[in-house]
Amino acid sequence: MSFRLINSLIVLSFICCSGCDSLFMSSPAEFKLSKRTKSLHGPAKNAVQRNLLDKFGTPVDMKAWERFPINYGSIKGKVKEPGSSTNAFSVSFNNEQEILPENSILRWLTGSFAAAEEDLFRDIPIESYSAETGEIVLAKKLSEDPKEGDQFIINPGFVLQHGRKLYMTHCLHCHGVSGDGNGPTSEYLNPRPRDYRDGVFKFTSTLSTEKVSHADLQRIVKKGIPGTYMPSFMLLKDDELEAILSYVQWLSSRGELEKKMVAELEADYSTAAVRSRKKEGETSEAISKELQELLSVEFSETVDGLATEVAETWTRANSKESLVVPKISRVPDSPESRQKGRELYLSNKAKCATCHGPKGIGNGPETKLFRKIPGTNKEYDQPGLFDMWDKHVKPRDLTRGIYRGGRRPIDLYSRVYSGIKGTPMPAFAGTLTDEEIWHLTNYVMSVPFEGQSSHATETEKVSQK
Amino acid sequence: MKKFWCLFFMFWPIVALVVCAMAPGMNWWFPGESNSPIGVEIDGLFNLILIIVTIVFIGTQIAFGYVLWKGAHIQKNEKALYTHGSHNLEIIWTVLPCVVMLFIALYQMEVWAKFRVQSTFDQDAVSQPIAEVTARQFEWRIRYPGPDTKFEGKADITDWLKNPRPTDLYTVNDLHVPAGKNVLIHLRSGDVQHSFFVPELRIKQDAVPGTVIPIWFNVDNKTKKYDESIKGFSYELVCAELCGWGHYKMQARVVAQLEDEYKNYLLQLQKEQFDDGVSAESDDDEEEE
Ligand code: HEC
Ligand code: HEC
Ligand SMILES: [Cu+2]
Repeated sequence: MSFRLINSLIVLSFICCSGCDSLFMSSPAEFKLSKRTKSLHGPAKNAVQRNLLDKFGTPVDMKAWERFPINYGSIKGKVKEPGSSTNAFSVSFNNEQEILPENSILRWLTGSFAAAEEDLFRDIPIESYSAETGEIVLAKKLSEDPKEGDQFIINPGFVLQHGRKLYMTHCLHCHGVSGDGNGPTSEYLNPRPRDYRDGVFKFTSTLSTEKVSHADLQRIVKKGIPGTYMPSFMLLKDDELEAILSYVQWLSSRGELEKKMVAELEADYSTAAVRSRKKEGETSEAISKELQELLSVEFSETVDGLATEVAETWTRANSKESLVVPKISRVPDSPESRQKGRELYLSNKAKCATCHGPKGIGNGPETKLFRKIPGTNKEYDQPGLFDMWDKHVKPRDLTRGIYRGGRRPIDLYSRVYSGIKGTPMPAFAGTLTDEEIWHLTNYVMSVPFEGQSSHATETEKVSQK
Repeated sequence: MKKFWCLFFMFWPIVALVVCAMAPGMNWWFPGESNSPIGVEIDGLFNLILIIVTIVFIGTQIAFGYVLWKGAHIQKNEKALYTHGSHNLEIIWTVLPCVVMLFIALYQMEVWAKFRVQSTFDQDAVSQPIAEVTARQFEWRIRYPGPDTKFEGKADITDWLKNPRPTDLYTVNDLHVPAGKNVLIHLRSGDVQHSFFVPELRIKQDAVPGTVIPIWFNVDNKTKKYDESIKGFSYELVCAELCGWGHYKMQARVVAQLEDEYKNYLLQLQKEQFDDGVSAESDDDEEEE
């Protein structure tokens, strides 16, 4: 009797395991195409897919396209002169290198070993490297001396691979394999996890026209987003954080390129466009031929150009010119300043109250209006504001004192100055002066404490320190 | 063959005993030495119970072995003994565990009270809680009273717990405490049940939605190494109540710091939190000049 019980328990646990298997493991992880890509006419869709596969590979077999300013962790160099034996030679790196990480491997990019058919001399473990002599000793003897100028790469994609592993452990269940914000737990969350593929991030310290900076991403992942289910990963080590961010940036770049390619083809070659062109009398052969020509002649150049555009936005976001820096320091937090802020808040100039409501609880008249779904004539079935991901979004309840983008005065300043990207919260850089934004900041920071008269003055003291 | 099975089944308890006896010395499974005075007392209780359980284990295993061994000698034609049970035996093995349990219950009361009964808490610590810790899926959000805040009695603290103040300082997954003195934090949950667990300090307390639970402790850093990079002694803080898909992510740290360094930490935190992006910048510029 008892034996049978144990037996059935064992079988049960077996079933459980195979259940999990089919949930997570059964198909190898793969990148999904976006909805818009899928709406393209067959050959056009295939072209987009092929390009993505060429440039980024799959989550299992990744490719590192150097067009993007992503730290893949690869170290490049070339042979300076052959050394005493075939497995030792002196090298010069493109960027000075003091030490190499442990268990580094070397892959030939040019020369006879790179051309060799068999993989024998492809990824060779490095035994030692000395910065003084610039000599590398390989763990394996080569069949002949490498030639001067032969190029190689050390640890190709090392950081990206590390990032993938950490991403799969920590982020995937919310942000998804493709970075589309559709992980298995995402369904239950509001707001939904970020879809990286648009390259749009909400809480940045950059101008409203610029992307997210590297420092912003670091801060978000370290501190999390209070008031949402984006948790803090404070205790990640520096190299782990950098690796994850490389991977996130890589996913994001991939999605952006996909989107741009689709935008390029959509007007003439979406399934719908092709259908209507046929209706207007064009033959499907003519359309096919035209598309064929486009894809075989110009398209690869176009893709190159689009990738460069994407790369530039990432680089530019980290430049000093893109950063929001107030021209004057914070106006001291006084009852007068708050009063001015309050007046601005209600004014026609700033219109904060139209969304956030006169009391700041996020119930302004804008939240009662029905809006049209962009690009259509239909209305949403729910009144209020919607973000670029077509999700209903409430203006923040300012009485709660929870600030998703951070609670420092500079954070709130940036929120008002540049808006919250991807959401209806507008940028006020053009409409409000620095002084006005500081008055507003002082007012917003005081809203949670209204009615708590005894502590109302405490902020003043702190801000004057 | 019967004797082989007897020996076989006696062999494993002996292995278990040997392994357990070696465990503390080899640092297997044991949580290492405690870094708080109350932890030492809790370890005392733990060891006492371990000894009692070991004695019971040896006793029962010997009894089992004896029964097996005797059974192995039963001849084929011998009839089984038919019994309605033994009153004496029943009484012995009911009363004896009761006595042992009662002893443990009484013996641990003092330590338990010290740790959990609020009227026994150090009133200095109670009158000036150092932080409110809110567990939520999947992180620990921490709110410190401003460095200049002096609470005026219980009502004031209750008010602080209900109504955040403008001077409060906020961090996440990083709880700093002064070392070498009794400190008190208030634990709450933002969503489901979690558990505040610092193994090296022997603190484990569930966070229950809807209630605020005070926890006191005292970090003496007896066996801990000073970590220069954080100017303090770092202890792992984890969640010990399965709370959802990201439960394993709830890793944080408690950093015990000497009084001065702790004060500096709070001041630094304050400076960062009230950064307006201009004043601090100009500070940097001055340094460069
Ligand atoms: C439990 C779910 C969850 C996990 C796990 C998670 N995130 Fe998020 N993440 C979110 C949600 C929800 C948001 C959107 C918050 C919002 O829109 O305000 C978000 C937003 C973000 C953003 C965008 C911030 C911005 O300013 O727009 C980044 C970047 C990000 N997450 C990175 C990560 C990384 C990296 C990891 C893993 C180390 C991770 N997330 C793990 C839920 C999660
Ligand atoms: C068109 C509607 C709209 C207007 C006008 C508007 N907001 Fe917002 N605001 C929003 C929405 C929507 C959000 C929430 C965005 C999100 O995180 O998804 C928000 C968020 C915020 C936040 C929260 C930032 C954080 O870090 O959590 C603050 C503060 C804020 N708004 C202040 C203001 C101020 C001050 C003004 C006027 C100068 C203003 N808003 C005008 C819609 C608006
Ligand atoms: Cu938990």
